[in-house]
Amino acid sequence: MKLAWFLFMAAAALAQVKVPRPAPELEIAEPSGRTAKLSSYRGDVVLLAFVVTSCPHCQAASKEFEKLQMEFGQRGFHAAEVAFDENPDVAAYTSRFGLTFPVGRGTDAGMRAFLGIAPHDRLATPQVVLIDRIGMIRAQSERLGSPMLQSGDVLRGLIAAMLGRHSIL
Amino acid sequence: MIDSGLSMPLMPVILFHLKQIFWFDVWPAIVGFTTIFCYQIYMRIGLSGARNKWLIFTLASLASMLALFGWTTMVRTTQMIPLYGCGVGLASLLASQIYAVTLPRHTRFRIPFPKAIWRSDERAIRRLHKAMGPQPVPRRTATPRSGYRDAA
Repeated sequence: MKLAWFLFMAAAALAQVKVPRPAPELEIAEPSGRTAKLSSYRGDVVLLAFVVTSCPHCQAASKEFEKLQMEFGQRGFHAAEVAFDENPDVAAYTSRFGLTFPVGRGTDAGMRAFLGIAPHDRLATPQVVLIDRIGMIRAQSERLGSPMLQSGDVLRGLIAAMLGRHSIL
Repeated sequence: MIDSGLSMPLMPVILFHLKQIFWFDVWPAIVGFTTIFCYQIYMRIGLSGARNKWLIFTLASLASMLALFGWTTMVRTTQMIPLYGCGVGLASLLASQIYAVTLPRHTRFRIPFPKAIWRSDERAIRRLHKAMGPQPVPRRTATPRSGYRDAA
């Protein structure tokens, strides 16, 4: 019984995505037709969120991200969102919440591949990722959600700490 | 998951956890307590035979509105269930210790103000019984179909 429990816990620990790790490449297709590459932000701190446009938690988080963009945008910080619901009206979402950062469309498979979540696993939205200046993922939401990474206060502290580090690029 | 190498400032984290504790644990307890306590109070005022119908209506409406407001602001997760239950239990416990609620006029504001008479306060209970006096009991007559009905 103890062995089975140990094996279960070990499997769970192995299945969990580790941080820090290099951020995979991602293309964000904006409604304007422009495609932004995640690697183009290299040298800056990036907050990337995978959202569902109809999800109230995502909408509340987007407003917080906009505040952070306003606050840290001049210091080398970029917020970006990828909506992965079916046929999201990204333009309406952006204008409704007054978002000035890029919001693009993505797929469920692309999001799972980026976050390291298996196709059959349940997940909660928004999924938030913080990437440092050298392109390493330093913080990532738990699969079933991390309220801490949706809190403006906590994110502000984390971003400030990451911006404080010297760029090696 | 947050990289342990990141030096996170402590204050926002403490603030975040305090907010979590308030909304997930404390607020459901307050809502549970207030809901049951308000219902108990206005029902007792109503049952005690208060004559002011508007006051009873206002109190009952306010209690219901307060309860529904609490429900709309409550985070609905399984985590909030035990403390919501504790709030309800505490309110019921407190209400069980109240013998009656009266509506004496406030000496300063000159408006009816709910005042609780506790079960342990024997003098106040005797005073209440004396003030209420003997209640007229309606005479009842038996009817073949519905059992009893009030005599005309």
